[in-house]
Amino acid sequence: MSQGAERRWLAASHTSGPLPEETDVLVVGGGIAGAATAYYLARSGVEVLLVERGELNREASGTNAGSLHLQLAIHQFSGHGTAADEQRLLGDLRASVEAFDFWRGLDEELGESVDLHVTGGWMVAERPEELETLRAKLALEERAGLETHLVTGAQLRDVAPFFSDSVLGATYCPAEGNANPLVVAPLFARRAVELGAEVRTGAAVLGIERGPGRTGDRFVVRTSRGTVRAHRVVDCAGAWSGHVAAMVGLRFPVRHEGLHVNVTDPRPPLLPAMVQHIGRRLTLKQASNGSFIIGGGWPAPWTGEGVRPPTVWSSAAGNTAVALDVVPELARANVVRTWSGVIVFTDDFAPVVGESHAVPGFFACVASTGFTFGPLYARRLADLMVGGGLPFPDSYSLDRVRDA
Amino acid sequence: MSLPSDVDVLVLGGGPAGMSAALAAHGRGASVLLVDERPTLGGQVYKQPSPGIDLVEPRALGRQARAGRELVERVAASAVVTSLGTELVAASGWGGDEGGQAVLVVGRRDQVTVRARRLVVAAGAHDRPVVFPGWTLPGVMTAGGVQSLAKTQLMVPAGRVVFAGSGPVALAFPAQLARLGADVVTVLEAGPRPGVLDLLRLVAAAPGNLDVLVDAAGYLGAILRRRVPVHHGRKVVRAEGDGRLERVVHCAVDESWRPVPGTERVEAADLLCLGYGFQPSVELARLLGCAIDEEEDLGGPVVRRDPWTRTSVTGVYAAGDGAGVEGVWVARDEGRLAGLAAVVDLGLVTRRAVRAEASRARARIARRRRLREATARLYRVGAGIDEAATPETIVCRCESVRQGELDRAIAASADPNVVKALTRAGMGPCQGRSCGRHVQAALARAHHVPRGELPAVTARIPLRPVPLGALADRSVTSPGLFLADGDGPR
Repeated sequence: MSQGAERRWLAASHTSGPLPEETDVLVVGGGIAGAATAYYLARSGVEVLLVERGELNREASGTNAGSLHLQLAIHQFSGHGTAADEQRLLGDLRASVEAFDFWRGLDEELGESVDLHVTGGWMVAERPEELETLRAKLALEERAGLETHLVTGAQLRDVAPFFSDSVLGATYCPAEGNANPLVVAPLFARRAVELGAEVRTGAAVLGIERGPGRTGDRFVVRTSRGTVRAHRVVDCAGAWSGHVAAMVGLRFPVRHEGLHVNVTDPRPPLLPAMVQHIGRRLTLKQASNGSFIIGGGWPAPWTGEGVRPPTVWSSAAGNTAVALDVVPELARANVVRTWSGVIVFTDDFAPVVGESHAVPGFFACVASTGFTFGPLYARRLADLMVGGGLPFPDSYSLDRVRDA
Repeated sequence: MSLPSDVDVLVLGGGPAGMSAALAAHGRGASVLLVDERPTLGGQVYKQPSPGIDLVEPRALGRQARAGRELVERVAASAVVTSLGTELVAASGWGGDEGGQAVLVVGRRDQVTVRARRLVVAAGAHDRPVVFPGWTLPGVMTAGGVQSLAKTQLMVPAGRVVFAGSGPVALAFPAQLARLGADVVTVLEAGPRPGVLDLLRLVAAAPGNLDVLVDAAGYLGAILRRRVPVHHGRKVVRAEGDGRLERVVHCAVDESWRPVPGTERVEAADLLCLGYGFQPSVELARLLGCAIDEEEDLGGPVVRRDPWTRTSVTGVYAAGDGAGVEGVWVARDEGRLAGLAAVVDLGLVTRRAVRAEASRARARIARRRRLREATARLYRVGAGIDEAATPETIVCRCESVRQGELDRAIAASADPNVVKALTRAGMGPCQGRSCGRHVQAALARAHHVPRGELPAVTARIPLRPVPLGALADRSVTSPGLFLADGDGPR
């Protein structure tokens, strides 16, 4: 880990004090979305308290592989073709363009490195129909203003000799890369506290009652460390955001799954850019220490709340087989470790961000691919909450299940 | 080589416990597969010469080596299926009466999934890693490492050897090295010099243990004859040298093994050999979900078992030093008990049929335990052993994490998993086998928690590094799109 790493997280003494009795904004969830929301609100002078039931950054935000996904990828496709989902996909891509600028400015914003590496990213196709999907997505990316190139044949062998012959073609997006998932959320939280926010860990939200309204605090939130009155609540609970929303009578179209990541021993430099697959589950990159990190959404079975899903052999074997098909040179690397994380999905592939119409004062910031987009949406949400910024599209609505 | 895909009993570990378990179960009619990652049977204590090295005169070996060779030959002559160079890297489905599965990687090339109804974990122990300034210098080795070279390659270290350690190994090992011709210039035993009371306790425990005591006397004699200075109550403080070991600094310790100020001495050395006891290799037991307890006198993490060596997970048994370090003789009898328990639980024989043999094994174990208890005062590991690092000392050598970094992460959290995430300590190829106990001790100290009460770091597959080419399996179909009909929870 780089020098100064310890300057990027909070000491336990900052997160263990008594729970304040009241706050303007209560942020629920100490992942990247919650920490960033707290930071941007605190930066605008808003009184904010963040509560986290466990420790900061221990779920999806800290257990993903740190990839910044900008090109359209397999997890965004409904199976009905890009034409059917054109408006949603274009919206996602415009967010990608914005996210790229956002991440490039983050070191300066936070005054410390988040280990951002803009490496570029490949999206490979091994079958003719996958190549067609690449062409269709390329057209959308051009319309949205995200720079992507399609490379095939001899040219591909020339610029990416590490790909196997089974790769028919690949798109390349120079803006993709990665940042350090162990650092970003803790750093946001640390900066938020420096700006006056309060953070409490080990504080699980048990229930939310709606208060008298208008003049007083609108929410009375019962936590495992005491009760706090809040004027506004922001649900940043990611995989568990549906549970928090249900406490105020809302239904979010969210579900969560365990997912599996493999790590190899350090190897000589081979892959300068991230590699993904348009038709099979794969994300692959070589970390700066030389290790290959291989993931892409292979399952880790959910065995119950409060238990990190176990990693299973079938996912390790299947995931690495896809990687090996695409980059044969990997055969020599040794897998030394696997880990599991959690990921939140929405049934309609759109994030849940904004303020509820049904429950005024109740906000949410929940996104799949939340490492890439969570902090960006958090900034926009904070802008909205302090009276600036543009409203989010209707497709992001917190009330959309009820309205449907 | 083709392995059976389905067996009654799978035994992990070809040391004394594993071999005894395999023979006991096989002798009662069970089909047995015995696997070990090394190229020869024997484990650590009965380690055999590497393939290609023939012993011209096996009778010249010590009594213990002969006993090991005899056991190895019995296994080889039996119908126990043995797979060497075989690593158990994953296991699943355990906890029910039908047993479960284990994934084996053979020769670092082929993966095989074996179904077994019972699993005996006899994973053995490894040298207790001890962290102090300079411990990563070339020229600093563990006793197990040096001993391995001596046993498998017949290599004896050249130059001046300083031995630092405690317990039986601190007596036996320098003596063995000296007999082989090594120049052992100093032995540092951290424990106290035996007093009259200790000797009386030993005499009381002597009946039935004479063989071990005679061996011990022999070791002592060898050291005395060669006039090797043995210092009790001293431990290594740091190792120094330019690019490799040149000097060992040691000091007197109090009864907690903490340094006594003003007692440091510097000694020139070419090899520093560390033998501060052993630590059970509990990775597989932990992965399987077996309950683990903390018992410093048995090496730290020990597997919780009933008198038949059954763990808390149905169908899984643990025997030998891998369940709690008690030495080779206890390991052999625990292995025997595990093998017998497995065949009884499988219904192959009645409990009555094995009662006599089990009772004899338990009686021998009890006898050996009396000896261990008699020496507990002398050999108890002091807490000071985990406190020698300075902020600049590397604690996790896989990921180059220093003590200072570790301390700052520990200030942020008492959760070992958080500390691992913040520092990367324990994320490398050894998966925390080297640094885990040191990190745990630092956490316990800083947060005033008994180390046994700290949560364990999440156990993960693979248990050993696996070449990706051996791991990858194209027959596993890739899940497709990320659609809402997945069975994930809401």
